Amino acid sequence: MRARAPMALLCIGGLAGCERVRHGVQSALDPAGHQAGRIADLWWLFLAVLAAVYALVLILLLVAAFRPRRRGRVPVGSAFPQEAPTERRLTRVLVAWAVGTTAIILTLTGFSYAVDRDILSLGHRAELTVEITAKQWWWQVKYDDPVPNRSFETANEIRLPVGVPVRVILKAQDVIHSFWVPNLHGKTDLIPGRVNETVIVANREGRFRGQCAEFCGFQHANMALDVVAVPRAEFDAWRESQLAPAVAPSDEQSQEGQRVFLTSACVMCHTIRGTTAASRVGPDLTHIATRPSLAAGTLPYSKGNLAGWIADPQRIKPGSQMPVTGLSADQLQSVLAYLDGLK
Amino acid sequence: MSSPCRRAVSLLLFAAFALAACDREDREPRGAPVGESGPGATVQGTLYAGEPTPPDPRRQEYEGNAYHISQGKQLYVWFNCGTCHANGGGDIGPPLMDDVWIYGDSLENIFATIVQGRPNGMPSFRNKIPETQIWEIAAYVRSMSGQTPTAASPGRNDSLNAKPAEQRTPKAEPKNSNPGGPGVEGRQ
Amino acid sequence: MFPFRRLNREVDVRMVRRASAVLVSMIALCGVGTAVAQDPSPARAVPAPSASPPDDGDWAMPAKNYASTRYSELDEVNTGNVRDLQVAFTFSTGVDRGQEAAPLVVGGTMYIVTPYPNRLFALDLTKPGAPVKWSFEPKPAASAQGVACCDYVNRGAAFADGRVFINTLDGQTIAVEAETGREIWRTRLGDINKGETITMAPLVVKGKVLVGNSGGEFGVRGWLTALDAATGKIVWKAYNTGPDSDVLIGADYKPFYDKEKGKDLGVTTWPPNAWEIGGGTVWGWISYDPELDLIYHGTANPGPWNPEQRPGDNKWTGGIFARNPDTGQARWFYQVVPHDLYDHDAINELVLLDLPVKGAMRKTVVRPERNGYVYVLDRATGEVLSADPYATINSSTGVDLKTGVLAMVEAKAPKMGKVVRDICPTAPGSKDWNPSSFSPRTGLLYIPHMNLCMDWQSAEANYIAGTPYIGAEVRMFAGPGGYRGELSAWDPVKRAKAWSVKEDLPLWSGTLSTAGDLVFYGTMEGWFKAVDARTGEELWRFKTGSGIIGQPIAYRGPDGREYIAVLSGVGGWAGAVVVGNLDPRDATAAKGFVNAVADLKEKSTKGGTLYVFALPSRR
Repeated sequence: MRARAPMALLCIGGLAGCERVRHGVQSALDPAGHQAGRIADLWWLFLAVLAAVYALVLILLLVAAFRPRRRGRVPVGSAFPQEAPTERRLTRVLVAWAVGTTAIILTLTGFSYAVDRDILSLGHRAELTVEITAKQWWWQVKYDDPVPNRSFETANEIRLPVGVPVRVILKAQDVIHSFWVPNLHGKTDLIPGRVNETVIVANREGRFRGQCAEFCGFQHANMALDVVAVPRAEFDAWRESQLAPAVAPSDEQSQEGQRVFLTSACVMCHTIRGTTAASRVGPDLTHIATRPSLAAGTLPYSKGNLAGWIADPQRIKPGSQMPVTGLSADQLQSVLAYLDGLK
Repeated sequence: MSSPCRRAVSLLLFAAFALAACDREDREPRGAPVGESGPGATVQGTLYAGEPTPPDPRRQEYEGNAYHISQGKQLYVWFNCGTCHANGGGDIGPPLMDDVWIYGDSLENIFATIVQGRPNGMPSFRNKIPETQIWEIAAYVRSMSGQTPTAASPGRNDSLNAKPAEQRTPKAEPKNSNPGGPGVEGRQ
Repeated sequence: MFPFRRLNREVDVRMVRRASAVLVSMIALCGVGTAVAQDPSPARAVPAPSASPPDDGDWAMPAKNYASTRYSELDEVNTGNVRDLQVAFTFSTGVDRGQEAAPLVVGGTMYIVTPYPNRLFALDLTKPGAPVKWSFEPKPAASAQGVACCDYVNRGAAFADGRVFINTLDGQTIAVEAETGREIWRTRLGDINKGETITMAPLVVKGKVLVGNSGGEFGVRGWLTALDAATGKIVWKAYNTGPDSDVLIGADYKPFYDKEKGKDLGVTTWPPNAWEIGGGTVWGWISYDPELDLIYHGTANPGPWNPEQRPGDNKWTGGIFARNPDTGQARWFYQVVPHDLYDHDAINELVLLDLPVKGAMRKTVVRPERNGYVYVLDRATGEVLSADPYATINSSTGVDLKTGVLAMVEAKAPKMGKVVRDICPTAPGSKDWNPSSFSPRTGLLYIPHMNLCMDWQSAEANYIAGTPYIGAEVRMFAGPGGYRGELSAWDPVKRAKAWSVKEDLPLWSGTLSTAGDLVFYGTMEGWFKAVDARTGEELWRFKTGSGIIGQPIAYRGPDGREYIAVLSGVGGWAGAVVVGNLDPRDATAAKGFVNAVADLKEKSTKGGTLYVFALPSRR
C-alpha cells in the first residue's frame, strides 16, 4: 500500500538508532549485569508480543476499513433468523479474542513476576556493601567494611569487581533522587528519611554511566554516576590505594597548592584525608585524580576541565553548590598541580 | 464591563501577578564577580556626623529573594553557624532571633561581622566563604528575627521543629535604630 | 516425790535434748559474739587510706585529697547548730560568668580562679574581711571565648610547694608564686584555632602538673599532659586517640576485658583518619592512688556527636584510664560507652574507696557516670564490680559484668534524618562534671544530679577547624516526675539509694560532706543548702545573689573556726540561657538545655561572688 514506504523508512531509521543504543554506556538494551539482562529479556519479550498484537490489530483494522461492501440484501420482515449464523460467528470471534487477550496478559504477567523474583534474589549473595547518599547534585559513595578503618569514601564513582554482587544502600539528604545504572539494573529511589537497598552485579568489564532518574532540582540533568567494572584483582588494588590518605605534595607548586587549598574556601566544603580538610558539604577529594569524571559526570576528568570547573563552576553547572571561589591565576595553577597529584 | 474588556483586564492582572512573583524566585547563581561585592562602609553606631550614610542598595537584591534566603539557610547549617548560634536561640554565640545586636543588625553589618570576625570569639570567614554566599547567609540571619519579607522567608523545617518558621517569626526590630540604619546595642 | 520418776522416757529425752540445744546455742552465740568483737575488717566503705590523709583544715585541691572524697573532718558546724550559720564575708570576683571553681585554702590564704579572663585572686584570711593579698591576670586570648562549648568556666586551681597552678581558657598552664602572685612559668598547650581550650582544674602528683584539654565538641584530639612543676616543661603527653605510641599503651598495659585488648585500637576502631579529630579530651577529674602509684582519669566524648559518622568502638574515648604518673604509660582502660551515642563523656569524678564486695574488701574506684549508672571498678585491674542505675535510664539496659559491655536500646539510638524522642538520660547525662562527695561516717556518696530526657535528631557534621563539630539537634526537658534535679545519697555497699531530695532545677553544683554530718550543695536559683547527711532533711538554707554551680569547701580559718565557702554565679552549660542571654523560643539553643530551663532567667541573674559562712562568733 501507499502507506508502506514511509513505514519502511521509519523502520530503517529506528534500526540505526537501535544499533547505537545496543552498545551504549548508558543503555538498558546493552545489559552488562544479571538484573539488566533479565529486564532486557523481558523487554524484548514484551516488545515482540505486543508488536505482534499491534500488527495484528492494525492489519484487521485495515482489512475492516478497506473490505468491499457485501452485495445482497436482507429480505424485509426476516431480519433476525437470517443473521443468526453471523451473530454466532461474531460471538465466537469475540470470545476467542477475549480469551486470547487474557491469556497473553496473564502470560506476560507471569514472566514479569518471574523476572521480578529473579532480580531480587541476589541479596543474600552480596559480598560488598556500598552506601550511596545522594545530595543535590552529586553522589557520595562509601565503601563499608566490618573493620571501621578499612572503609573509605569517594564520590560520583563506583568501582565493582566483575561477577561479584554488590549491595547498594541508598540514602538521600535533601530531596528524592533515583539511582539508575541502565546497563546493570532498574531504578531505585533514594528518599530522605528512609534507607533503600538494591543489589547490582556486573557480568563483564567495562565502564557504564548511571543517572539520577528522579527530578531533583536545577541540575538533575547533570547528576550522573560512573560505574566501572574491573577484574577482582584490579578492584582489590584500587581499594587499597583508596584507603590510603592523600598523597603528600612533592614539588613546590603542589605544596603551595595545598596551602592555598587549606586557607581558602576549598577547606570549607571538601575532605582531603591526611590534611585538616574534613568537611562533608562537597565530594571527598582525597583521590580525585583517579576518577573518570568531574562534577557528577558533567565533564571528563582532565587538568583543563578541572581548571575550568574550579574557575567558574556556575557557567558549567549553574545552580550547583560549588561557588565561584575567586582564586587568582597563580593560586589556581598551584591548586591544580596539587589536586592533579592526588592519585 | 463587556466581555472582551473583562478578558483584557483579567489578562493584565494575571500578567501583573506573574511578574511580581518573578523577583521572589529570581535566581542569580553566579552572583557578582568576586571583589566587587564587599559592603559599603558599615556603621557601628547610631550617631552620625552630619547626615546618615545611605544603606547599601544590594540589600533589596538579597533580602527580598526567596532563593537567596533559602540558600543562606542551607549554608548556615553547612558552615557550622548553627553549632554556635543554634537555630537563632544562641549557644556559644549570642542569639540571632532576638532584637539585641552587638555589632549591628543591617545586612551590611552582618556581612561585615561574618567577614571580619569579632574580638570575643566570632571567627573570621574572609576568603573562606565567597561573598555571594555571605550575603545569602546574612539575609537568612535577618530572616531569623523576622526582618525579611514574609513571602521570601523560609517555611517550616522538615527536621526537628525547634522554633516557629522564619515566615511566622514576629519582627524583632532593634528599638534604637535610625530609619535605614543599623540597630546596634554596644555595651549596655 | 521426785517428778522425774513419774515422767516417761520420751519426755525425759525431749527435755534433755531441749536443754542441750539451748546450752549449745548460748555457747555458740558467745563464741560468735567474741568473733564479731574481734573481727578487724569493717563491713563499710572507707576512702583509700593512702589517698586520703588526715584533714589539716586546709583545702589544697578542689577534690580535697587524691581520693576525691570532698569530705571535711571539721565538725564545729553540725546538725545541731547549722541553723545559726551566717555569712562571715563575701568577695565579688568582678566576672559574672559561670563560677564552677572550688576555692582553695592553704595556710591562711584563699585562692580563687575566675572564669575567663581567668583572674587569680589570693585573699588574706588572717585579716578581717579577707582583703585581696594579690591578684594575677593571665590575659588569655579573647577569641578563646568563641571555642568554649559550655561557658568560659574554670574548675579551680592547684597548690603545691608554695606555687599555685592555673589553666587558662586559651590553653595555657601557668605557675604563680603563692606568696606574691609573681608568674614563675607559663606553658602553652592548646591551640584555639583547632578548637582547644582548657577548663579543668590541674592536679599535682609527684612534682608533675597534670593538665587535660577541652574541645570534644570542636573535633579536638584529646590528651593528658604532665608538666614539670618546677619548670613547666612537658614530661609526657598521652593522647586518647590514635596509635598506641601516642596513647602511651605499651608493655605495662593490662586491661581486664578482652574488648580493650588489641593493637592500635585508637586507629582501627575509627573510620580512616577520623581519630585525628576524634575527641577523647580530659576536661574533668583526676584521682591518684599513692599505694598503687596510679592516676585515674576519664576520657570525654568522641567527635562528632552524630554516631553514624564514626562507626566502630572509637577507642579510647568515653572510658577510664589508669596510668603511671611518672611516665604516663597506661596500666588499664575500661571503655564505659563504646561508640558513644549521646555525648556521654566519661570524665566525672573518680572516688577511691575500699569497700566490701561479696564479702571481700576490694580496692575500688567509684564513679557516678553520665549514663546514669554508679560504676564500681577494681582500681588495680579495671574490672567492673557493679554498675547500678541511680537515675531514670531508657537508652541502655545494663552492663554485662563478664564482658564489660553496655547493652544499648536500639529504639533509642540516634538516626540521621529521624527524630528519636524521649531518650533518658540526656546528653549532659544523669550527672555531668559536678562532683559528688563521700562521708566515711555515713558511708554514703552524695550525688548531685539531674532528671532530664531529650529528643535527638542527628545531622551530618562538617569539620571546619575552629568551629564546632557536632551533628545533632537536641531538645531537653524534665524527666519522669517533672522535677529536674535530685540529690541522691548512694550507699556503695548496699548498691542502693539511702535517701534523695528532689529539686525543681537541675543540680549543677558539687557537694561537700563534713564530719558534722552535713551535706552542702547549691541550686541554680542561688539557694545554698545544708542537709542532714543521714536523712536528707534540710537544716539550713541561704539565698545567694546568683545560681550556684561551683564546688563548696570547708576549711579551718586562722582563728580556728570552721568556714564554709562557695562561689555563686550561674552559668556553665546548664545556665547558658542566663549568661548568654539566649532566646528560649528556640528549643535547640545551648544544645537543647535552654528548653529544659527556660524559666531560669526569671529565677537567677548573672553573678560572680564568693560567699563564706561561719557560725556566729562568740565574741
